[in-house]
Amino acid sequence: MKIKKVVPVLFCLLVFFVAARLLWADARLDMSKAGVKGGNCAACHGQDKVLSKGHVDTKAMNWGACRACHTKDNLSLTGKLPNSHHHLLAGIGCIECHGKTSTPEGLDMDKCVSCHGPTEGLAQKTKEIKPTNPHTSPHYGTELDCNLCHHQHTRSEDFCGQCHSFKFKTP
Amino acid sequence: MNKEKAQSGFTRRNFIKTAGGAAAVAGLAAAGLPLMSGQAQAAGDLPKKWDETYDVVVVGSGFAGLAAALEAKNGGASVLVIEKMPVHGGNSIINGGDFCAPGTKMQKEEGIEDSPELMLKDMLRAGAYINHPELAKMVAYGAKDALEWTESYLGCKYASVGFHGGHSVKRAHATAIRSGSEVVNKELAKAKEIGVKVQMRTKMERLIVDKGGRVVGVEVRKNYRFPDEKSGAAAFIKAKKAVVLGSGGFSRDVRMRMIHDPRLTDRYESTNQPGATGEAILAACKVGAMDVQMDWIQLGPWTSPDEKGFGFVPLFCERLVGYGPMINPKTGKRFFKETGNRKERADAIILLGDPVIIMGDTYAVNKQVFPHALQKGMEVGAIKKFDTLEAVAREYSIPVDAFLNEIKRWNGFVEKKKDDDLDCMIFKDAKPVAEAPFYAARLWPKVHHTMGGLVINKDAQVMSLDFNPIKGLYAAGEATGGVHGAVRLGGVAMADCIVFGRVAGKNAAAEKAWS
Repeated sequence: MKIKKVVPVLFCLLVFFVAARLLWADARLDMSKAGVKGGNCAACHGQDKVLSKGHVDTKAMNWGACRACHTKDNLSLTGKLPNSHHHLLAGIGCIECHGKTSTPEGLDMDKCVSCHGPTEGLAQKTKEIKPTNPHTSPHYGTELDCNLCHHQHTRSEDFCGQCHSFKFKTP
Repeated sequence: MNKEKAQSGFTRRNFIKTAGGAAAVAGLAAAGLPLMSGQAQAAGDLPKKWDETYDVVVVGSGFAGLAAALEAKNGGASVLVIEKMPVHGGNSIINGGDFCAPGTKMQKEEGIEDSPELMLKDMLRAGAYINHPELAKMVAYGAKDALEWTESYLGCKYASVGFHGGHSVKRAHATAIRSGSEVVNKELAKAKEIGVKVQMRTKMERLIVDKGGRVVGVEVRKNYRFPDEKSGAAAFIKAKKAVVLGSGGFSRDVRMRMIHDPRLTDRYESTNQPGATGEAILAACKVGAMDVQMDWIQLGPWTSPDEKGFGFVPLFCERLVGYGPMINPKTGKRFFKETGNRKERADAIILLGDPVIIMGDTYAVNKQVFPHALQKGMEVGAIKKFDTLEAVAREYSIPVDAFLNEIKRWNGFVEKKKDDDLDCMIFKDAKPVAEAPFYAARLWPKVHHTMGGLVINKDAQVMSLDFNPIKGLYAAGEATGGVHGAVRLGGVAMADCIVFGRVAGKNAAAEKAWS
């Protein structure tokens, strides 16, 4: 039975969710970090070791610099970094999405679309993905909220995986 | 997802948290006055301040809830739809999109003779005659109009008329995209167009009733993140006219379904979306609603433990019964009439206690199974292909000799088109299981539909424990019980939801406002 495999996965997800929530809770309280550069891990994480041992200094790096080593096929960062970090490394900080506020709130997908473009275009771009295009479905068309899979402040998920076995690796 | 900030209205919890609150609580306790928590509420315990006010509040955004919202809005009411999940549509959006209705234009074009009388007869026979006849009649006689409403008012498209087991004729109108999303997405689009407000991630915590027992609003959690019961913030929404529950069934609520059918432990998965938990039904019971036939819980005998949700194996299994045998791997023998109804077959598998096998040879599979379903089922590993019958036995740990003998015996029945052992219906064009490769899948039932639910009358009013309608409370769809009796027939859920959703919405809008 699948259920035996699912239980540990669910447990891990739960642990991660709780941990991620705690981290996010800190970030919520600290919009003063809004101007921090993405490569400056210590600015938010303090002394916590968030990079692997022997990792080059990232302080001055942006997303492009990360990509020099972390390609899609080699040392991929897919699923390793919360998407907010990708954004931050690309110069999109808290304020760019949440505005200047001390109480940032969840956003709807209009915000994503305002930079990333219409969902139809996205679905077109991913039409070759196997076993099926993740950006369109008989249920929601192309309009399923981005945030249901692509989380910013916690690990992304495969929302389709509730019922389907597509096994998407969600960035 | 919604920008609306939960206003911090009066809540007991917040009040109690403050120091002044604590002192006041001590005072109240000393004075012997009752204290309420969010769990136990006495009638008449109204919030001091309502955060929002609407004429009609609809709980749930599936077929029934949105149909109610549309009719209520068109009846002149201001309408809010709340949905606890992050997406709209509940089970309706993963539904197969078959809408049973009798006497339609499409049926006539295909020369199918049908009538509401016949559909009612089918529903009652399948329902073991414990359906509430006046409710079943509403659906059978209202289905055609409901279907036409989805076409003319919502713009839904139907492609063909198909057959479902237990019906006398082809009357399942398949949406063009083969999914209930065709209807529920168009309901949502129309609702937004005409000014219905729809709020996701908003969970009803309880129904609020006044001293006279009238439903006057709901306590909700806004920005709720399923299934975290502590997420979100409390808010009170006033319903000046009525609350409509279109909140669905409880197939995914293991604790609740085990109360009514203790066999249905977490060993049984469900074809339903994760939010199909029954707390809205219980919330209604807490304010005095009556429930009915809660232990009639439908399991699909055609689902596989080797894939998620509804999956592809049902499309493999249901096309093969009458062409190939169902085998108990422990004995290598058949154990139940393959063409028996859903309930009988599911019960038989549950009684065995472990998954069974459905199988067919190349002739049967090529002839009967849609290539798409076969391919997809094989891709996920739920359907397997074998060069020999011995290989089938090895894969599923079936005693080989007993299995080969049983296949021989089955083939004999197929030759003479009569099953002496279990009286399976063997179709005219069936052939002995002989042509390699062979295809097989494991079967283990999944919980599919809860026939029971709240008692309603034909005006969709929820009935109380004193047999009177609860003022200001309506319900429609799977949250209700009685329409289907013991067994819901395939394709009748859509009809049920649209018919009673619309009735509930119209009547809710016509209620006299209490404030």
